[in-house]
Amino acid sequence: MSWRVTPDRVVGVGALGVAVLAPLLFSTYWVSTLLTETLFLGIVAASLVFLSAYGGMVSLAQVALYGITGFVLGNVVTNGNTKGLNLGWNPWLGVGLGIAIATTVALLLGALSSRSTGIYFLMITLTYGVIANLFFGQVTDFSGFGGISGIDAPAGIGPVTGHPNRLYYVALGVSVAVYALLRYIVRTPFGLALQGVRDDPVRMSSLGYNVMLHRTLAFGFAGFIASLGGVLFVWWNGHIDPASIDLGATIDVLIIAVIGGLTRVEGAWLGAFLYVLMLNYLPSITFLGSIGITQDRFHTLIGIVFLVIILVSPNGLIGLWERTLKLVGSSRFGRPAVEAPGGGTDV
Amino acid sequence: MSSFKWRGRHLVLPLAAAVIVVAVGAAGALAASAKTTASTIKVAVLSDCQGAFGSFDGQDLAGVVSAMSQYAGAKPVDPNNPRKGWTGGQINGHPLKLVGVGCSNDRADTAIKETKRLMEQLGADVMIGPLSGDESIAVANYAKQHPTKTFVDGSAGAQDTTLKVRAPNFFRFNGDGAMWNAGLGDLAYNKLGWKTAAVVADDYSFAWTSAAGFIAEFCAVGGQVTKRVFPPLNTTDYSSYAQQMPTNVDGTFVAVGGAGLIPFLKAYEQAHGPIDGKKFIGNLFWGTPGQFEQLSTRVTGAYVGGAGTAGDLATPAAKNYANNIIGKWFKTIPPYGAAAPQAASTFTYGFFINTWGLIKGLQAVKGDISGGQKKLQAAVKKAVLPTAYGTIHLDKYNQGVIPVYYAQLYQKDGKLAVKTVGYIPNVDQTFGGTFSASTPAPGRTSPKCVKRTLPWIGKTQHPKVVG
Repeated sequence: MSWRVTPDRVVGVGALGVAVLAPLLFSTYWVSTLLTETLFLGIVAASLVFLSAYGGMVSLAQVALYGITGFVLGNVVTNGNTKGLNLGWNPWLGVGLGIAIATTVALLLGALSSRSTGIYFLMITLTYGVIANLFFGQVTDFSGFGGISGIDAPAGIGPVTGHPNRLYYVALGVSVAVYALLRYIVRTPFGLALQGVRDDPVRMSSLGYNVMLHRTLAFGFAGFIASLGGVLFVWWNGHIDPASIDLGATIDVLIIAVIGGLTRVEGAWLGAFLYVLMLNYLPSITFLGSIGITQDRFHTLIGIVFLVIILVSPNGLIGLWERTLKLVGSSRFGRPAVEAPGGGTDV
Repeated sequence: MSSFKWRGRHLVLPLAAAVIVVAVGAAGALAASAKTTASTIKVAVLSDCQGAFGSFDGQDLAGVVSAMSQYAGAKPVDPNNPRKGWTGGQINGHPLKLVGVGCSNDRADTAIKETKRLMEQLGADVMIGPLSGDESIAVANYAKQHPTKTFVDGSAGAQDTTLKVRAPNFFRFNGDGAMWNAGLGDLAYNKLGWKTAAVVADDYSFAWTSAAGFIAEFCAVGGQVTKRVFPPLNTTDYSSYAQQMPTNVDGTFVAVGGAGLIPFLKAYEQAHGPIDGKKFIGNLFWGTPGQFEQLSTRVTGAYVGGAGTAGDLATPAAKNYANNIIGKWFKTIPPYGAAAPQAASTFTYGFFINTWGLIKGLQAVKGDISGGQKKLQAAVKKAVLPTAYGTIHLDKYNQGVIPVYYAQLYQKDGKLAVKTVGYIPNVDQTFGGTFSASTPAPGRTSPKCVKRTLPWIGKTQHPKVVG
């Protein structure tokens, strides 16, 4: 097996090294809040990037799916002092049920939308997101407006307050596993066929491939990935309510994916990191308030940054990285064909 | 593995990237550590600057800054803009530093994000807030997970916040929505002669609690609630909900608040014709300064639930609070204008008394917040506030036992005005034994409509008011 040293790989190993040593390098707030949030948002965005880059499907339902996991987990593990079912079951049973239900829902929704492409697929998945938001907002048996509070991580990981590094390392481990799994999946016959479906569904259908089944399975798999992010989110946040999965949250994950770059999975974590930094530090810049960009208009600023990145580099930060490599003459370290999905899907 | 050739130019970018990440993180760590000053008490405030109650943001901050100025030697930065906070202020030599003001939007998810930012990023020791019901349930749960920090409520009135969650480090000197409506059921049944009533309330914890107070008491004395309608908070088109409201009832209790109240009443009039004020009872929003002025004079005669406040009370304490405390430290409170008339607002008063309770606790421990703030929390629990409208102390679950007032809308010089007409002292959260930790939380179907005995039935007092 050949293994060349490329800038991508060096950066990847370097980033992983920094991530592993993060509790030694950074403050507790950075590790327990910024980096942990980066990791689980990155996982959710990665599920979107996977669908976009390898399936040609830009989904706005990923946040809804991660929310379904969170609500299931919240209903199952809480006990008495919050909204929802308050079943008080074993936390790991909650995790299993949350992931299983979200993945099943993803398969069903994927089957339902498997005939759609492009803007129509986008709109259908947006509808899924709105339905999930309204369902949990209206059905007070499961949540209601106020949502579910006091969701603790299981013993060994939590309490998150007392042991912030544990959840961080769990999130890091899951992120690495998700990345490896995505890299593996796209190299399997299923992954290669999915890329064929992305590029030319008519030809793939003529060759005997079941296009709709591939799209459905891809959507279900992406739902599974998103659900992992959902588990980490509720452990980290201790709370979930319909606003956690509203249109704003849906758009935020799309922004993360686009900022990072919809062409490569790594971009998801890169976009999440930049987004989390902006979210946490830009409101503290007094100058912005003096020119009218107060905290309640913060998304204006996110929008401006988003526009600048898209104008400078349509493929996001990952695209910027690739262009930089070309500029310094490293373009010959191109990515292997299977992980080069082309220009991705424009949004 | 092959072709393991290190080239300088290939390493520059990755190393630069790694250095930047480490540097940014280290800067964050240094900034965080630089903020830690041993003797400083870092205070955060969580308000709503967006959403259904965003217009009351100024009142929230005015309450906090006025209390800090009145009792802890602080001074507003700008007497016309409470959000700018205060300067100075100390407890026994420990400076009271405002490290941040959160901007929530009535949603628990946002409240938690902002609380994390204030407590974890900005490193606050204590927090005052939030404004609304479900936010406070989430924050109380957050408090439970962070026992070394101390939290006092702002103006939120969901019942679960203290009765169910019971965080030992979350304190609420204001009442909950049900307590604030004590006396209204008795009034509706025995004075107004209502035998049947409909209830419409925002579909979230505070409004459920607010409706629960009216329903529990109205049914306790023999009334029947025949219809309950719950439009989602932040609804803009209430026409479908207005259509659901029955007209074959003796009266209607309205617990739609904030930005939704006027659109709901407009939709109601479009569906059922002009409102007859005498057939309506509103919750606190019908009497909140800044909000009631927007109502039409057609609601003249309607009764209004309270929030533990009575702005027109003819006592020196009430006048002093409005003119010599809120009116002293602030000239105006945006966006509603002159400050003193807004003193009796639920929001101004709620944030004021909760901040005052916190200050009393800090004074009792001489500003010493060491030892995981346990001494401070014990001291806040014991604080007794001789407020403008009566004395408040906390029960065993850190919930205030409060005086309650209700009012009636009337016309003064052709404009709508609020007159306090009823007073019930010492209302506690059990609502005369109606609610407990084991009873279902207020919701769309609870409490049930059952007859029972309440201690204040027939004993409502009538306070002396100005005008």
